[in-house]
Amino acid sequence: MHIRSFIGAIVWAAGLLTATACSTLGVKPWQHEVLARPAMALNAEPIDTAIDDHIYFSKEATSGGRSSAGGGCGCN
Amino acid sequence: MSADPLLDIAAYRGQVLYVDFWASWCVPCRESFAWMNSMQAQFARDGLTVIAVNVDHERADAEQFLRSHPAQFRIVYDPQGLLPEKFGVRGMPTSFLIDRTGHVQSRHEGFRLADRDALAQQIRSLLKAP
Amino acid sequence: MQLKREVSSLQLGLMAASCSLLSATARAQLTPETPTQLDADVLYYKESGGGGVQAIEPVVSLKRDFGDQRVLNGTLVIDSLSGPTPNGAMPSRKPQTFASPSSTSLVPEPGKKTTLYTIAPGDLPKDPHFKEQRVGGDLDWSQPLGLDNSVSFGGHVSSEHDFDSFAANLGGSHDFNAKNTAVSFSLSEEYDRIHAHGGNPVPGSDYLLYEKESSQTKTVSGALLGVTQVIRRNWLTELNYTYDRSKGYLTDPYRILSLLDADGNVLGYRYESRPDSRGQQSLYWVNKVALGPTVLDVSYRHGWDSWSIHSNTVDAHLRIDLSRGVYLEPHLRWYRQSAADFYVLYLSAARALPGFMSSDPRLADFTGTTVGVKFGVTVGRFGELALRVEEYEQRPSNQSSSLPQLQGLNLDPNLKAAIVQLGWRLLF
Repeated sequence: MHIRSFIGAIVWAAGLLTATACSTLGVKPWQHEVLARPAMALNAEPIDTAIDDHIYFSKEATSGGRSSAGGGCGCN
Repeated sequence: MSADPLLDIAAYRGQVLYVDFWASWCVPCRESFAWMNSMQAQFARDGLTVIAVNVDHERADAEQFLRSHPAQFRIVYDPQGLLPEKFGVRGMPTSFLIDRTGHVQSRHEGFRLADRDALAQQIRSLLKAP
Repeated sequence: MQLKREVSSLQLGLMAASCSLLSATARAQLTPETPTQLDADVLYYKESGGGGVQAIEPVVSLKRDFGDQRVLNGTLVIDSLSGPTPNGAMPSRKPQTFASPSSTSLVPEPGKKTTLYTIAPGDLPKDPHFKEQRVGGDLDWSQPLGLDNSVSFGGHVSSEHDFDSFAANLGGSHDFNAKNTAVSFSLSEEYDRIHAHGGNPVPGSDYLLYEKESSQTKTVSGALLGVTQVIRRNWLTELNYTYDRSKGYLTDPYRILSLLDADGNVLGYRYESRPDSRGQQSLYWVNKVALGPTVLDVSYRHGWDSWSIHSNTVDAHLRIDLSRGVYLEPHLRWYRQSAADFYVLYLSAARALPGFMSSDPRLADFTGTTVGVKFGVTVGRFGELALRVEEYEQRPSNQSSSLPQLQGLNLDPNLKAAIVQLGWRLLF
């Protein structure tokens, strides 16, 4: 069961990577006006996220998973 | 570069052009404006012209930015993004240095405080050329 | 791009030191005019039903951009917990007496400390003397590396009476495809020392023997791989895979299980016992979509581990910007988990004792739902005040038994928790 889930995950990730490599998705570098908004950041409220993670870590068996890379204004 | 209704490079022959692409949502652009003001003031009589092309979707956003970061150089408004497409801009901000004969000599992606001196040096060397 | 670190909690409340996410840099907020951000929040948490813990947790965070997006982030957390916490035993028709973990003996003896509590018939056994304080700190640094990369590293320390934790993390990311795609990785390493009140019990041992061992340790190693992709001008998506491996003393030193005969009478109690290793994996997928001034954040996470626990989480936030500087953000979360393979409600004397066993509701089969709303207002030119109110409810699947003595008793009541968070932010 674990091996199947793992392979499924790899296939899923590979599919997404292939789609991105085709460059059919995305915007021009000067079209980041919406993505640059603070509310559009992947971890827009780090303290809220940390508090939630803390609560659910104490009450549930699965924890974490979120990170924040990419998105934003794409500047520099 | 062919004549463009938004920005005619040929009209600036004889001048060294610093063309910068900026937007109100671009945080490094706030630092670049202060520096571009000082470059324009310092080298205007030597033949430097700074032109900042704004690519904001909404003109009001650009104007709000200019109220808190006044520019002593020319602003061109290109909300449809025709000029960055033409210049091949790959990231924000991007600046191009064009020599007195109208040829693009260098492109600079991003704006970092650490790069200011090297950029000023490049401008000086282009200004020295006839 | 920090990896969440799994720091195990000893006590039954909010003890853990989940830290790295507090220090993830939100690059959009800091500007050259306001390179510093100060956040001061306080959390109030109160359980009812299957739990009774109450916690007050102030958090202070300072973030500063030293120019060109080189950011230092420091956070301090103080946790104060108290309130009745379930000890793992089942309700019974007769009164039950237990010793609080700080006791060094079950019976009064000269030179030994004994704090006893008695549970009324029919009640879920909870220790009313539970009290704990934790202090934790994080420090993280992130900076660009060349044109399209960034790197970050950080450390974390936390301490409470019975638990110390030290952790370090390292991460990097690479942008390509005209900044439409980013890949990131993160590694973390954690070292914990467990020295329970009254000593760490020998796992699986008889409660009445009160056999204790000295300090134990555990380590957690973690890795994260992520891909972020811009789909449209207003749509961003991210997919993360994480793997965490825990090794060492993973047992909860305060938890016991009831040993019952065929009728359901209490014969005694045993300390719980968990394996000394655990591998956890998760796949996390999040989408952020802007619809005008409103932003929808919806995520799905699938988790699975070597203890046979499987989980699914759906989490959604809708940030609605009302007039200038005012916003409302409703929140809905649904969580479903299947039990660990060694989870049992109680032990049966009719069967041989299993090698590994635990009645910790955290490892059980349950559904958890959260409903909440956050309200925020801009204060002055660079300040913000926000209030978040939420309710969490956990409904276990297995709440009754066929044993005669346990009929009509609620063996695993629903857990309800109220969550209130007040926050203040200042940019300068």
